[in-house]
Order: sequence, then structure tokens, then C-alpha cells
Amino acid sequence: MANSGDSVLEMYLYETNTLLEQLDNIMLAAEQADTLSQDDVNEIFRIMHTLKGSAAMMEYEPLMTIAHRIEDLFYLIRENTMDTVPEQDRPKLFDLLFQSIDYFRNEVGKIEKGDPLSTNIDRFVETINMFIDKIKNDGQAAGSSGEAPAADQAAVQEGCAALVENAPAGYPFALRVFLDEGCGMENLRAFMIVSDVRDSGAQFLYEPEDLESNTARSPEIAENGFTMYFAAENERKAALPLISNLGFVKTYQEIDAAPAPETQKDEKQEPVAEAAEPAEPQKAMPAAGGETASGKGGGHQIRQSLISVNLSKLDQLMAVVGEIVITETMVTASPDLRGIEDAKLDNFYKSARQLRKLTDELQDISMSLRMVPVSGTFQKMRRIVRDMGQKLGRKAQLNIIGEDTEIDKTIVDAISDPIMHIVRNSMDHGIEPDEQMRIDAGKDPVGEITLSAQNTGSEVIIKIEDDGMGVDCDAVLRKALQQGLASPDVEYSQREIMNFLMMPGFSTNQEVTEFSGRGVGMDVVKKNVETVGGVVTMSSEKGKGSCTTLKIPLTTAIMDGMEVRVGESIFTIPIQNIRQSFKVTEKDIIHDAMQGEIINKMGEFYPVVRLYDVYGIEPQSTSISDGILVWVESSENSCCLFVDELLGKQQVVIKPLPSYLNNFKIKDAGIAGCTILGDGNISLILDVTNLMGFISGNAGY
Amino acid sequence: MSDENMMFATEEMQRAAAESAEDNTAEIAMRKFLTFRTDNLLFGVDAENVVEIITNHVITQVPMVPTYVRGIINLRGQTIPLMDMRLRLSAEPRDNDCIIVLNLNEMPIGILVDTVCQIIDIPVDTILPVPVHNAQKYVSGMTTMPDGTGTMLVLDCELLLAE
Repeated sequence: MANSGDSVLEMYLYETNTLLEQLDNIMLAAEQADTLSQDDVNEIFRIMHTLKGSAAMMEYEPLMTIAHRIEDLFYLIRENTMDTVPEQDRPKLFDLLFQSIDYFRNEVGKIEKGDPLSTNIDRFVETINMFIDKIKNDGQAAGSSGEAPAADQAAVQEGCAALVENAPAGYPFALRVFLDEGCGMENLRAFMIVSDVRDSGAQFLYEPEDLESNTARSPEIAENGFTMYFAAENERKAALPLISNLGFVKTYQEIDAAPAPETQKDEKQEPVAEAAEPAEPQKAMPAAGGETASGKGGGHQIRQSLISVNLSKLDQLMAVVGEIVITETMVTASPDLRGIEDAKLDNFYKSARQLRKLTDELQDISMSLRMVPVSGTFQKMRRIVRDMGQKLGRKAQLNIIGEDTEIDKTIVDAISDPIMHIVRNSMDHGIEPDEQMRIDAGKDPVGEITLSAQNTGSEVIIKIEDDGMGVDCDAVLRKALQQGLASPDVEYSQREIMNFLMMPGFSTNQEVTEFSGRGVGMDVVKKNVETVGGVVTMSSEKGKGSCTTLKIPLTTAIMDGMEVRVGESIFTIPIQNIRQSFKVTEKDIIHDAMQGEIINKMGEFYPVVRLYDVYGIEPQSTSISDGILVWVESSENSCCLFVDELLGKQQVVIKPLPSYLNNFKIKDAGIAGCTILGDGNISLILDVTNLMGFISGNAGY
Repeated sequence: MSDENMMFATEEMQRAAAESAEDNTAEIAMRKFLTFRTDNLLFGVDAENVVEIITNHVITQVPMVPTYVRGIINLRGQTIPLMDMRLRLSAEPRDNDCIIVLNLNEMPIGILVDTVCQIIDIPVDTILPVPVHNAQKYVSGMTTMPDGTGTMLVLDCELLLAE
């Protein structure tokens, strides 16, 4: 079962990671409040139980043990409420949990890479055990545990009497095994036990006999356990450690055919858990590893409605939806309709409108599928701020603004590392090393890092601000000179100095610390952000703090564009680049000494670019008054493109150009992609930024 | 369409021929080629690379590319670059509309040819290297057609794509 394929492993990793993330969030909130609510305790217990169950399923022994111990710990806390943990021990408890989260993360990372798990967990287990003992001693003083199990055991015993009667001849020594509630696939787990015991060479029968193949047995086994009948007592004894080692076995009972000495044992090895667990109410552990939250865990039910989907499937969906959008236009604007009177097409138009509405909706939904909120990435930063704050002895608080902002999944992945780098930088270089420095500077003793995300329609702006020391421009410049990045004869502006920070190998930190100072960081940030087409800018005021801004374009696959015609060719200009379009006459054109043409618009001069000239297309007319000027701008550059005709605004699906054409560097010439029009023809999409770069690179403009 | 019909017909014939010939030449490795004519030259392209043959497609010109790249076509929603074989061979352009869609290293590309002829099985050992001093461009080997109708030049797709 352990090796039943990658999909099981994948599910395991996904599930475990999700649970760890959840745990992280609970713990961070709890640390803030300095206590755990009963709901939190329940949730942590549930998570640990699931972690234990799935680790056992995958036979990751050490993970299972740790999860088990923490589960025990939280069982105690759950029974006796958070009051069991004295105020002064709480930070220890939180640390312990953070440690275990890290431990799990680490091990899961190893599993992902296929490395062997570390088996040296004794010390960790020891720590947890010590904590458990401590709480238990306190708890027992309160005398609240211990009664409950008895009642449950009585019920179990009742069932045994009947069982003993049934013992087959020659196998008088019965062993009844109860599985963990909610561990799932009880029949297969039971079979695992059976085959493990059989491997040890014991002679025995078991009931129900068809437990391997018959899944219908699962509920029965879950409720009543299953029974093995041994021929000899010592064989049964030998089987006990095998069984008790499996993580999903709750308890077992030895039953002899002679009813009198009905010995009943709860597992000796794990006294706390096993004595405690039977008392656990049935409802606490729902099936399928706690995926469905039980009745009382109301606050944590969100993930029930989530499923994981392969990103490539979403890409495919997006492509098909794009096709549908195009095809819809092809149908509703079909040239065949032209000869027909409108009156006869009433029904057609009605249906067409309906279709348009539905396709629009479909398009919106499929686009939103790829969008995920940045909150996941942002929340991770809380942990970094906490950990670094503790290690460095700095107090800082993370404010998050706009975490609901949704960004394309690929972009979220690409910016997660950069944000982490910047937050680390803020903690390490930004926030003052001790409170006194902050108080002296007239600031709140607790540092503040603000992480904000904002969607402006065409791009996402992510800002990481801190109110720390800010960047010492002189120091940066000195360092830059030292490292030969800057030249001593040049006067640098503040902006240019900030740019040194983003050069490879640059670090002002005197020492290399665990977190930063190696000088890899900002250049990696810059590179990562640039791969998704974004820009990084840094600004800082000495003594007041610094701010890093990431501007990332929303690379949605569908955009609004203006179709323009130049000769026979059709181009699409992104709407957000167009400021205005207007007709002019020869008189309005100003000629310069370089044969260039300029136009005065709103008090400023802009170059006129004849698109047919740039691309070597046969124009319809070279007379400026026959065509139309489209005033385009991108960032700070602006120019007027001369085209033959505006064809109208249209929503287009961006398709990449065939890779073969990239050999000819047409991207640099300002052609970003293409799109298929309603009539099946292809229109080339202009990238105004590149186009202007290309034009200014050419002589004559 | 007529091209396609012809193609299938010849394929059937070839298969029948191959089956009858199987007894005596069972061990000789065969390769399938699609043959086409451009500028009176008979080319063969490995049938493994051929996706389909299409006609009558609207070509969208793309600026800033060499003249032999005629532009891009819309093949059922996929945009495919189109190369004119005549221009690639520096011959006079003609008003062709027969396009062979090839898939080269997962990259589709259309080539514009005069006519498509047939699919044919060629024994690998009859493909000979091209004599050095009259080497044709983009040709990796040549062979005499089994039916004696001429010489087929084996198109080298890698060279064709190289600039």
C-alpha cells in the first residue's frame, strides 16, 4: 500500500502541505492572542490526527510518531481546556508546535525530493513527552481524566462474550483489533495487519474472512473491529508488538476461549493516548482523515469546497473558451446573414444575444479560475516576521492590506520568493536592532512592516514598506564604489543609488547572517519579477523607512484591443495604450530637419510614425489626410501612429506567435502576439513599448 | 481534396505492393516519404513529420521577416508560420495554394509547394548521400524512385528551418 503509485503520494503531499499551512495560521493567530481557543485545540487535534493517519498510511514512521505525540498532547489540552497549560508555559507550547510544523515541512520536503527521512527524532519526542508529562501531572491533580474510558470499555467487553463463543475449533486464542475511527479503508488496513502478522509466521484465522476484497466490510470493521484467532498463545503474544506498532490501530483485546480470565489490555506502550482515546466521542473524528469538519468545528469549513486542479487543464480550458468566443463572433456576424431581412432573424438575434451573455459569463468564470488571492503568500510572511523577530530580538508587526487581491496563479508563484526576500531584508536591514533606537527616533517601539496589494486594472502593485532605518545612500554609494559597481567621477541620483542595491553581489551588511547579507537577494528579486514582465522600484528615506514596489502586469489572455488597418494588414492595439485617435491634414504636420514628422497635440509635440513605413507594408494611401492618427503611449513615451482606418474595438484572445517566428526577433519590433478575428483572419497585436523602442532605434525617427 | 484522395489511393496501392513484396524483402528497413514538387524538383519529406495537407488558406503577412516566410495561417485556431518553398530555394514565386503542414520538433510549420504527389515507401539503404559539389540546398540525401520516374531529394527539415 505504501507504494501504490505517485498519485497517492501526490495526494499525501498536497494534503499534508495544506494541513501544515492551516496549522501555521492557527498558531500565528494563537500566539498573538497568547492562548488557544477550544476550537483551535480541536482543529489542531484534528489536523494532527489526519497527519498521523496519512503518515501511517504512507508508512512514514517518524512523522507518524511525532504527529501521534502531539495528538496526545492536544488530547489532554482538549479534555482539560487550555487552562491546563500554565500561562508561563504557553510560549513553550507555541514554540513546540512551530518546531513540529517546521519538522513536518522539512520532512515533507525530503519526501518530495525523494530523500530518506531522518529517523533521529528521539530528542524531539522527548521534548513533547516532557511537556505532556508536565501537563498531565497538573491535569491529574485536577482529577478530571480517567473516568471516561471505563464506561467505554464496558461497552466493548459486552461484545466480547458473543465473540468467544464463535472461536473456531483449534484456534482458541482470539485477538480483537480496533482501528482508529475515521482512518478510512478499514478493510484494507485490517488486511495489512493480517498480512503483517502472517509474515511473522503465525498460524491463525481471521474474521471477516473476505476483508481484503470486500470493501463493504469497512463499516463493520470500523465499528466492531476484526478478530484473529490464534492456535497458540505465544503466537498471539508475538503478534501484539506488530499490531501495536501500526499507527492506525486504536486498541486491541485478547480474548481466550476460556471466558474466565478475560484479560483486557489497552496498549501499554502508549498509555496516555490509548487510555484516553476510547473516551473520545464518536463524532470527533469523521471519515476520510478529517476532511469534513465535524459539527462543532464551524470556523474551519472553507476547504471542504476546494478541489485541486492541474494547471495545464485550466490552460486548456482557457484555450477552448477563447475559441468559443471567436467562434461565437464568427457565427453571429456571419456574412451569410447579410442578405436576409432583419425581421426574419428575430429569433436568431434573440438566441445570439443569449449566447453572447453565456459566453461572456463562461469567459469570466474560466478566467477567474486561474486567479488566486495573494493572501496565501502574504500570510506566509507573518511566520517569517515572527521567526526573524525572535531570532534577531526585534519586535515587528506585519500589516497586510488587500490580501484578497487576485492574481494569476503563475504570477503568484513567481512573486512569492521575491516578497519573502524583501520582507527579510526589511527585518534584517530595515527595522532597528533594538527598541531604544526606535524610541530615540520617536517611533513606536514595535516596528511595522506593511505588505499591500492593489489591482489597478492593468497591473498589480505590491508594496512592501517598513518604518525602519531606511537606506543610507552614502553607505550604499561607498560600498558600490568599493565593489567597483559605481564610478567615482559620476554624480549619482538617489534613484540610481537605489538601483545599486539590485545589482548582483551587492550587500551592505557587514556580516553574513542566517537570513541575509550574502548579497544574493535583490538581484534575484529583480530577475524573478522581470520574468513575469514586472518592474521593481525601491525608494527610501533615511531614518524613516523604505519601500519596495513591485509592478506586475495582469497577463490575462483576453484583452480589449482596437483593430486598425494598414494596407492589407490588420493590427490590434491594446486599448490601455491608446489615448486618442484623430484626423489631421497636411497643414498640422511639422517637419523637422531629419525628415521626421511631428504633430502638436495639447501643447506638446509628438512624433508621427507611419506604421506602413516601419513594417514595410504597401499602404493604401500615403497622404496623411486619408488615414487617421492613433495617439499611443506607454510608460513615459508617446507617439502618434498613422494608420489607414480604425476598424473598431474588440475583445481579443491573445495567442503567442509561432515559435519559429521568434527567430526573426519580431517581438523586438513591437509585435507581441496575434489573435484570430471573427472572420477567421489573423490580426497582429502591437506591443507599444517595444514598438517605440524599435522606432527610436531606427534612424530617421 | 483531390490531392488527399490521391494520397490515400496511392497509400493503399503502396501497402498492397509492400505486402506482396514482403516475402522476399522482409528484412529491409523502409521509410515512408511524402513527395511533392517545387520548381520542377521532386522532394520527399519523412511522412513521420507530416501532419496534413491543406489548400486555400488565407495568409496573414507578418512584417520584419525574410521574404520566404510568407506569414501565418489560422489552422483551426492554431497559428502556423508558412514558408514558401519556391522563395526558400530562391526561385521565382508562383501563386501556389498547396500547403503541407509539418510538425518538426513539436513545432508546426506549413510549407507552400507547387503540388503534392504521393506517399511512398523507400528502402533506407537506397537513400544515397548528395555529391558534395552539386549539393542542393536543404537536401540530406537522394534516391531513385522505385518506379523509375525520377530522382527524389530527401528534404532536411533541420536545414530548412536554419536561418
